[in-house]
Amino acid sequence: MTTSTAPARAESPRARAWRRLRKNHLAGSGLVLVAGMALACFLLPSLLHLDPTTTHPALRHQAPSAAHWFGTDGLGRDYAARVLTGGQTSLLVGLVATLTCVVIGVFYGAVAGYYGGRVDEVMMRFVDFMYGVPYMFLVILIMLMFSESARGDPVPVFVALGLVEWLTMARVVRGQVLTLREREFVLAARLLGASDARVIARHIVPNVLGIVTVYATLTVPTVIILESFLSFLGLGLKLSWGQLVSEAVGVVNPVAVYWWLLAFPSFFLAVTLLCLNYVGDGLRDAVDPKGR
Amino acid sequence: MSAVEVGAIAAGVGMLAGVAWLPPKATRVIGSIFGGALVFGVARGGLGVTGGVVAGALLAVLLARFGPNTVLRRVTFLLPSLLLLVFVTTLLMYHAPGSPFAGEKVATPQVEAALRAHFGIPKSAVEFFWIYVRRLVVDGSLGPSVKVQGRMVETLLRPALPVSIALGLLSLVLAAAFGLALGIRAGLKPNSAADYVATGLSAIGLSLPSFVIGAILIVIFSLKLGWLPVAGWGDLRHLVLPAVTLALPYAAYIARLARGGTIEVMSQDFIRTARAKGVPEAAVVLRHALKGAILPVVSYLGPAAAGIMTGSFVVETLFGIPGMGQWFVRGAINRDYSMVLGTALVYASLVTAFNLVVDLAYAWLDPRVRSDA
Amino acid sequence: MYRTLFGILSVFAAALLLVALTFSSTVEVPADLRIANGTEPKTLDPGIMTGIPEHAIGDALFEGLTRFDGNTLKQVPGVASSWELSPDGTLYTFKLRPDARWSDGHPVTASDFVYSWKRLLDPKVGSEYAYMLFPLELAEAYSTYAGHAASIGDRILPALASLEQSAPIDAKTWQAFVRDQHVNAPLRVLGDGALENLLARRTGSISAAELAAFARGLERGQSRLLAENAEARAHFGVDRGVMAPDEKTLVVKLRAPTPYFLQVLSHESSMPVPRWALEAHGDSWFLPGNIVSNGPFRLASWLVNDHIRLEKNPYYWGRSEVRLERVDMLSNDNMMTNVNLYLTGAIDLLPHSYYPQELAPELRKRSDFTQSPTLIVYFYRLNVTKKPLDDKRVRKALNLAIDRDSITKNVLGLGQKPAYTLVPPGIPGYVPPASATERNVAEARRLLAEAGFPDGKGFPRLGLLYNTNEDHKRIAEVVTDQWRRALGIDVTAYNQEWQSYLETTRAFKYDIARYGWGADYVDPNSFLDMFVTNGPNNQTGWSSALYDRLIQLAGDVSLLSRDPEPLLAQLREPEPIRELLHRIEVGAPAEGQRAREELRFRLLREAEAILVDDECPIIPVFFYTVGMLARPRVHGVAMQVRLADGSVLQNLQDRQPLRDIWVDGPHAERP
Repeated sequence: MTTSTAPARAESPRARAWRRLRKNHLAGSGLVLVAGMALACFLLPSLLHLDPTTTHPALRHQAPSAAHWFGTDGLGRDYAARVLTGGQTSLLVGLVATLTCVVIGVFYGAVAGYYGGRVDEVMMRFVDFMYGVPYMFLVILIMLMFSESARGDPVPVFVALGLVEWLTMARVVRGQVLTLREREFVLAARLLGASDARVIARHIVPNVLGIVTVYATLTVPTVIILESFLSFLGLGLKLSWGQLVSEAVGVVNPVAVYWWLLAFPSFFLAVTLLCLNYVGDGLRDAVDPKGR
Repeated sequence: MSAVEVGAIAAGVGMLAGVAWLPPKATRVIGSIFGGALVFGVARGGLGVTGGVVAGALLAVLLARFGPNTVLRRVTFLLPSLLLLVFVTTLLMYHAPGSPFAGEKVATPQVEAALRAHFGIPKSAVEFFWIYVRRLVVDGSLGPSVKVQGRMVETLLRPALPVSIALGLLSLVLAAAFGLALGIRAGLKPNSAADYVATGLSAIGLSLPSFVIGAILIVIFSLKLGWLPVAGWGDLRHLVLPAVTLALPYAAYIARLARGGTIEVMSQDFIRTARAKGVPEAAVVLRHALKGAILPVVSYLGPAAAGIMTGSFVVETLFGIPGMGQWFVRGAINRDYSMVLGTALVYASLVTAFNLVVDLAYAWLDPRVRSDA
Repeated sequence: MYRTLFGILSVFAAALLLVALTFSSTVEVPADLRIANGTEPKTLDPGIMTGIPEHAIGDALFEGLTRFDGNTLKQVPGVASSWELSPDGTLYTFKLRPDARWSDGHPVTASDFVYSWKRLLDPKVGSEYAYMLFPLELAEAYSTYAGHAASIGDRILPALASLEQSAPIDAKTWQAFVRDQHVNAPLRVLGDGALENLLARRTGSISAAELAAFARGLERGQSRLLAENAEARAHFGVDRGVMAPDEKTLVVKLRAPTPYFLQVLSHESSMPVPRWALEAHGDSWFLPGNIVSNGPFRLASWLVNDHIRLEKNPYYWGRSEVRLERVDMLSNDNMMTNVNLYLTGAIDLLPHSYYPQELAPELRKRSDFTQSPTLIVYFYRLNVTKKPLDDKRVRKALNLAIDRDSITKNVLGLGQKPAYTLVPPGIPGYVPPASATERNVAEARRLLAEAGFPDGKGFPRLGLLYNTNEDHKRIAEVVTDQWRRALGIDVTAYNQEWQSYLETTRAFKYDIARYGWGADYVDPNSFLDMFVTNGPNNQTGWSSALYDRLIQLAGDVSLLSRDPEPLLAQLREPEPIRELLHRIEVGAPAEGQRAREELRFRLLREAEAILVDDECPIIPVFFYTVGMLARPRVHGVAMQVRLADGSVLQNLQDRQPLRDIWVDGPHAERP
């Protein structure tokens, strides 16, 4: 009942989506907040000369003050610096893993959907099979495989998370492509003698980008949460929000009231994920109001 | 990776593909046989070999006679995919550094060889795969655990599974109840204040890792208020905090799905018609909105149920619960190969089972799907 | 249509009913005492167990010839009621208690011990603690010689043959071969001087003829090992090593006097196992219903990942001294959960290493917290097979640049002692060597510049590996930061979980790696023999012929009297050793015995000086102090006892036998 009536004049899908998105204040403010958060994490530490690694064990567990806005951690390191630098890796892991999963998912889904039939059947069976593999455990095994050569390098985490998150993306893309390939412009391109690769690259992929953006936006928070679970297991990144939060959970109890250790990274993490979720929801409503 | 291993994976994927090519008749026959075999494998633990054969044969006949095609297809697909799962997981495990027999003191090669022979874990992944599959088929056993010795993996998982299922069921019920209520409430008036509050509430569940939520709940309800135990397993009071912790992210996701479904259904013409006819708003909501909200939730519930009932490592360690989730992670971390494979098999079978149930539930809820099938 | 709604509600109701049904199991009687016990025990077989959680339970279920007494913190008679030691210190005769019985009523006999010890030494059983009994005559031959012979035949000789093809080879290739093929292990027991000389060759090249001679020497050694193993198989447990002349007498023959042997006898690995239960149930003999044990407690139930219930053993000879009826040992490896359980009263005892050490300084303020120094050392291994750590100056610089005081005071905060040597303080009679590795940044920078890295320029980026653990992480981050600031070098701290970590360190794929080592028995040798050339737990690639010689001599000091001077010339303090040798020669037997003891410690001290002061293949960081939380109602858990003469005895191995614990009143209801 509150959905708007269809506009009278013809409107491109992209323009329509953009118009819908702009009307969604929640998504809009979410986008602004996330952008602000990213800017703060990537710029502030160098602008303010914040140092996340220098330890001052004698100044450990200081409550927030003018000198240390977020207090200090158990080794006397400036916690603001750590939270902001941790944000860099958390956002990066979200972005890189999502990109990995977009690349794999779009390619896989587009091929399956475009060729359809048996090819599609086989490829989707494989996706079904992968759904049956416990993902956490796949992540752990992949991480273990790389643990020797990685030496704390974040790349295996990126790869492992990307490798387990592409399934839904592939499914969604495939579903879209299945309908797209029957459309006139695709048929026309094929009749004109365009190769399959060209048709997929020039005509199919651009048309699924809308829905891909939606799912990518929703994948970023998922990946960031997954990384925090890895941190909880001691397999995560060296310094990330997930790592800070899981360290802090270990010392939150009535024995010691180091509340700032949990409060600040949790707040940053929650706000970022919340906003990303709103943006993703907004995008979805805009691109495909019926989609889910 | 050796040529043999690559070849074997290719063969496995080929086998999966082959299933897709099978004509419906063949699917019916093979699916029934596989279904019977699976039931035999599970049932002989409790009923003995004869009981297993009887149960397996009975199910095979039932499947062949009455099983819907979709069900048979899933079952036909299950067996080769379990085999592939075992193989791929074995390879991954063997390529990870470390071995189940590495201890603080360095064992002599002879001692290690003796232990490997004893537990049936040779140095080659392919050999291990055959030993494992043979034991699975011939003895119906998931193999001995190296890290909790003296027991078979199935004896370790058997008491753990009901624990995780009980916790998971309760969480699922909580998640569905809260998620649906919030989601429908939000979906009835999208972009209103009520919507923002509802989505905001549910989004918290998606924005914080469950170990943070759990830790906060423990501090408040156990340590400060003293209402509930901090950890353990034994009576219903132990169940509350972990169930809530586990349910929150699922509730959030369900709320989001239900909201979308409600919005969609409420914009349909028949709602307008119903309202125009003067049907009371409550009835409109109960009859139509609920249904619109539930459909997307049901298709999400299948995989979610499998995930939630096979336990969460985080929640189980945080609350000291002897469930399945602990074995998932511990098996991998300890390189307890048989345990890793056992949990993977149980998980994959459960996912298939729940997907089956969802297929059936979906057919029951949505007549359009039913007529298709 | 209300069908949908009804359907959903009925599914919910059915689900909840199912949940309720799983809880209809019977409720246990509350235990007298509930103890946090860390991770789930891997086994309850005393011969196989290796971890702290297992040992806590093994100690309660089984009892050796001696036992560790919680009241006096000493070894006292256990299954053996008394024993005699021959004047030369090598022959023990134990009298077993007539009333020592198994939990099924069988008497505990001397042949039970013979069976259990032969089993422990059996390579097929694969016990990591088999070496505890190697002081026994022929025990090592029985346990390992066949394996060593097989290593020579199956692995080393073929590899050597292919190495001969490319002879002459340079010393570096040779040392890599020695390390990869574990040539040391069989050679160490052979004691063939010519072979060892070649093994130690680190410069120049090795000719084909030398390799061929080495191969011939190995072949000779192989047949000797096989012969000695055959002899041991025929005689060990019958008329050599350990014997059971009658059911209640056990005779033990040692190959050399072993001052710590009575401690070995209270260790889990030497406890008896019930032959009939093992034969009846195989691998699962220690599960509830199958297990038979001879200790103060027996196993009542075992809920995996939840708890193990122990109850008083009614057949135990000292049952009147056991005051606990039922004890629960809780399995949970989440440290925060353990603290919460203690805070809410769900457990009564929270031992060290089951709570986050970051909380220790806060917990220390509580009145129910007790602590004691213990014989555990925390150190970093340096991989000396890699550049630039092959340079002694770099290793020393790394040592000198660490501010250990800041770590012990501010990061650990339990009064831990900074470590500049390897052997923890507190071993009676042992004086550690002086070590000039206290923090000296100027000197460290000078050494680093001398090694070619002024201000850390050109120093490669190294990794500091630790096994996944919050506490190791904190220390690693402080140490790498100290290095960065003091020396200008970049060392990255990174973690691996335990199994990967073990593999990485053993394969020398690390630069710097954390390790901790606790004493199996109270003796410096328990620490120092770790670093003999290619010792299984050396894992630094470091090797020193002098060090090896000193450790060997400490095993049997009589070897030194033959021709001491060449060795003494290489030592820091030869004079006191000459004097001791003289006392041994001229003194009365008792005086000689004392001098031998002192000489042994002197030799070990010289060895330690090479390790921690001259060569520095390791960086000792601190000696552990452990603290424990115990509710006031729990008595008999002692971190230290005050002796009659007013002196204080520390519980150096942090052993808390359940047998000696008692509580006021019943355990509070589970909250």
